[in-house]
Amino acid sequence: MSNRRSFLKLSAGLAAGGLAAGLSSTANASECVADIKWHEEVDLLVIGSGFAGQSVAVNANREGLGKVLVLEKMQVIGGNSAINGGWFAVPKNPVQLAQGINDDSPAELVKDQMIAARGMGNEQMLTKIANEALNAYNMCLDAGVKFKKDFNIQVGGHNKARAVRVEHGTGGDIVTKLYEAGVREGVDYRLQYKVEDFIMNGNEIEGVVVRRGYRFPDESTGELINIRANKGVVLATGGFTRNMELRAAVDPSLDPSLDCTNHLGATGEATLTAMAHGALPVHMNMIQTGHWGSPDEGGFGWSNALLSIGWHKGIAVNPTTGTRIMDERADRLTCSTAIMACRHKDGSPAYPLVFFNKNDHLGDARVTRAVRDEMAWEMDSLEQMADKFNVPLAQLKATVKQWNDYVAKSEDPDFNRKMDTAVKLKAPFVVSRVWPKVHYCMGGLKTDIDGRVVNARTMKPIKSLYAAGEVIGGVHGHARLSSCACLEGLAMGFILPKSIKADA
Amino acid sequence: MKKLALILAMALSTSAYAGELVDVDKGMQGRMNHEMLYADDCEACHTGDAKKFVDDSSCIACHGEINEIELDTEKLVMPEANPHKSVHYNQGASCLACHAEHQTKKPVCSECHRTWFDEM
Repeated sequence: MSNRRSFLKLSAGLAAGGLAAGLSSTANASECVADIKWHEEVDLLVIGSGFAGQSVAVNANREGLGKVLVLEKMQVIGGNSAINGGWFAVPKNPVQLAQGINDDSPAELVKDQMIAARGMGNEQMLTKIANEALNAYNMCLDAGVKFKKDFNIQVGGHNKARAVRVEHGTGGDIVTKLYEAGVREGVDYRLQYKVEDFIMNGNEIEGVVVRRGYRFPDESTGELINIRANKGVVLATGGFTRNMELRAAVDPSLDPSLDCTNHLGATGEATLTAMAHGALPVHMNMIQTGHWGSPDEGGFGWSNALLSIGWHKGIAVNPTTGTRIMDERADRLTCSTAIMACRHKDGSPAYPLVFFNKNDHLGDARVTRAVRDEMAWEMDSLEQMADKFNVPLAQLKATVKQWNDYVAKSEDPDFNRKMDTAVKLKAPFVVSRVWPKVHYCMGGLKTDIDGRVVNARTMKPIKSLYAAGEVIGGVHGHARLSSCACLEGLAMGFILPKSIKADA
Repeated sequence: MKKLALILAMALSTSAYAGELVDVDKGMQGRMNHEMLYADDCEACHTGDAKKFVDDSSCIACHGEINEIELDTEKLVMPEANPHKSVHYNQGASCLACHAEHQTKKPVCSECHRTWFDEM
């Protein structure tokens, strides 16, 4: 049996650098091995420490699955979850109910998601995830996560106000508290442990080869060790938006100059390793751009928080024409497409301007910090705005006048925007520029609805290999809705431990 | 090792300061305040091959855990921008995420907050 164990022969570049040399002390990379030297043995190995990894680890530990070890390749915990906007869709959350919204349900959320998925979503899986939303929310509360008081709003593509947001407007509020809870309860976390390969025994994963002491992005750092996982390996490794080669290979239409909201480690090598061991990839070309990126700051940034005002209370205008470009409250794909159509004659981006009334939001932290960090500007008049951003003034004035008429009638004949939160525009304004940033991989590894990674040849699970969060593909179809990645990652933490228990 | 009580400043303007990079050994640079460690040899920090593994334990032995190390909050852009108690990572950050011993390094926060933090 042991002679069926295999390592993957990784690419020459990696092997030359250190993998082959490093493996020679433990096992030859290209030949079958009789015995593997296990440096460490645990019950459950969780790869990645974002929402999915943290939730799986904490819940698996609570379910009594034994020794749980979380490996994180970076020098900080949390991946994208630690830097995202902290939006969390929870049907029937207490704030929503207090707002008098009693007609929401997990099924209502799934309905919205299936529309955004454009026929490519997995309704069964989305339902299973949505059904765990309240559990996930309560887990956060129990861990000490603070949510913005009385805050529950309707975000793009949703038909109900059901998104809560954490106190500081970043998923870090959740990641840090779950980490503390995990540490307190006995989950073992390691930073700078990068998974290099899986150790397979036929169709079963037995453990992983890990580069311990890895210093991103230097592939020559660290040393290779083998960690055995008795009950399973959970991939919670996120997406691959920072892997430019892979990104371009699956979606050549993505402008390579587009910035990215993700942390630098979102490079997807665990996805590729799983594929090389037989896992089925799906929807790899479905890569979402966040339409709320600002070209005036790095990474995820403040822009999305600022635009939670802008999309509701303001409008988006093409600077070359001075006219509106879209339903500012539509889903991400719709908005990204409209924004990226704004170009100068030479094809370079003409960053659309999003603006709203300054005096309606005096002292709002979202505004003050955006202005402070020079990714938004206060403008006293349309003249000043037109001058600074080189917009045709007459058309800009006409656009604002027409918009104000639409608000008075509470209808938007141009784009059919929902007008319940729209307000008339009146100087002075807060203005920011937008350009999409590559944001989320809808595609990834195919799993069954319980999170078991599926083998491409048999369409049956690869034994003991599980996955959760962005690394999974086929759940959200063409467009994931805002606030649903947080939900998915946290909710899978309630689903996977049950699967692992059932398989044990 | 005796724990030092340190108040680190975000930016120090004096010409020679505790964390300044100086030549220490065979073309290698290191922090001026770590001279006594270099007298011991590399293994004072590197337990074994330097390329293979280094972790925070030697940093923590002198300076304490991340949340225990106080910063001069007056030098911060705002109170929340405290990298030792950050809303993103809090205690879940390695010293090495922002600090390097032998070279200057951009702190992890500067990947997004471009104007807040200088090289550490």
